[in-house]
Amino acid sequence: MTGSVHAPTRCAIVPPYLLVRLARLDDPRFAAAAEAARQSLLRDSPLRTHREVAHPPHRPEVRGGGPARVPGRIDRSVSDAAGLERLPGRLVRSEGHPPVPDVTVQEAWDGLGSTHDLFWSRFHRDSVDGRGLSLDATVHYGRNYDNAFWDGERMVFGDGDGQVFNRFTASLTVIGHELTHGVTQFTANLTYQGQSGAVNESMSDVFGSLVEQHARGQSTAEAGWLIGEGLFTDQVQGVALRSMKAPGTAYNDDVLGRDPQPDSMAGYVETEDDNGGVHLNSGIPNRAFYLVAEALGGNAWEAPGQIWYDTLTSGTLGSAVTFAAFARATARAAVKRFGIGSEQHRAVVAAWTTVGLGSGLAAGLGTGRPGGTKLPEAQRPEAQRPEQQRPEQQRSE
Amino acid sequence: MKVVVSRSGGIAGIRTTWEVDVDAQPDAADWAELITALPWAEVSARAPEPDRFVYRIRCAPNEVVLAEPQVCGPWKELVDRVKASRRAESGPGPRPAGPRRSPDSPLGGFGADSQPPG
Repeated sequence: MTGSVHAPTRCAIVPPYLLVRLARLDDPRFAAAAEAARQSLLRDSPLRTHREVAHPPHRPEVRGGGPARVPGRIDRSVSDAAGLERLPGRLVRSEGHPPVPDVTVQEAWDGLGSTHDLFWSRFHRDSVDGRGLSLDATVHYGRNYDNAFWDGERMVFGDGDGQVFNRFTASLTVIGHELTHGVTQFTANLTYQGQSGAVNESMSDVFGSLVEQHARGQSTAEAGWLIGEGLFTDQVQGVALRSMKAPGTAYNDDVLGRDPQPDSMAGYVETEDDNGGVHLNSGIPNRAFYLVAEALGGNAWEAPGQIWYDTLTSGTLGSAVTFAAFARATARAAVKRFGIGSEQHRAVVAAWTTVGLGSGLAAGLGTGRPGGTKLPEAQRPEAQRPEQQRPEQQRSE
Repeated sequence: MKVVVSRSGGIAGIRTTWEVDVDAQPDAADWAELITALPWAEVSARAPEPDRFVYRIRCAPNEVVLAEPQVCGPWKELVDRVKASRRAESGPGPRPAGPRRSPDSPLGGFGADSQPPG
């Protein structure tokens, strides 16, 4: 048990920001240090509260005498529904407390940590709402429940039926997917129907995949780009729920049928089911993101993830956005951060063109040629200079 | 009389259909009573929620679409009964509880109005 490891606590050898950073580490090599740091933060808080009460005028972030929240400090809880369909269930672990033997609880716990880490360390987003909202999960929801979802406040995981599906905490991409629904809810709030619903789904797949890649330290070339790898039992002919790299190839099973995701607008699915095929047509923007990452190489959470994050949090996406409008918004985000005609901008335009949504996008490149030349600095609008762009912290809702 | 329950959505986005021929059931009268008592006309639209299931329930001439949280009371009774009945009919097999291909769908377990990708 890592909880028995003690780090310096009362004596402030380790500064709070470093404790926060240590506490967020998910690398197993640092598990003991991370847990000790979490314990330390927990034990420290009453002391800090005491100091704040003693000197309230010097701590403007303290309101009402409560403890100051450390930005970026994770606050998790996992509850156990024990096979019922009632939320939240019984609290089995909260922040600062040692692990419990249940592997499902541990997977949910670690997944919340990895997701929080991606958003905070890469995009300076403090939890799903940008204001340090506690991350709460419920596991063992229902009996043989074949699903996981975000209910607007918490993530909920079923155990699967054991015949088609394993437990839904088994894939980190699923945990990242659900929490990203929370991020979308607090930002662009994309309507979960039709094309805007498919963009909402795709955002969850994109950042769900990035959470896993970031936690594993995988580059675009090394990553599998699968959503829900390992969720199917070995009785199913399939590797995952979806493939972002090659939509439509994740499974082909005699009972489940074939993965129905289209990989371009040519295969766009018109259906009334699944809120207008939100989990089907998401294959199109999913592949566009993959193609951007493939073109740029390196780590997908860097430029590609930043462009998609900027788009989601720009405040300019309509809640009923279409694929075409979303494509234009990503191109604008690429221009704003990296400049018109930049390698990143060209990659975005090329990706959308490949999936059948390039109409009108290339105009922004000036030359209209693939790989169009970069405009001289003097011709670039002031507002589009990348050095002036700072990551958006959060929108005030 | 046939009752068809089709579940779509969920994080997997996999459509599953269960179908029961009510007249062929030993307790056909119970089924008929349950089905006629359902509040078919009282279902209101509800804003979709991420990754929740969507249920489409058909029993000619009625058809409703229910969000997962709306499947409660008599609707839940019907859905559970259809699922259990379908499972019982399938008999022993490698995956008796698994989703079945819908007999009325050219694409197996997926939407009849879906197009194959590509």
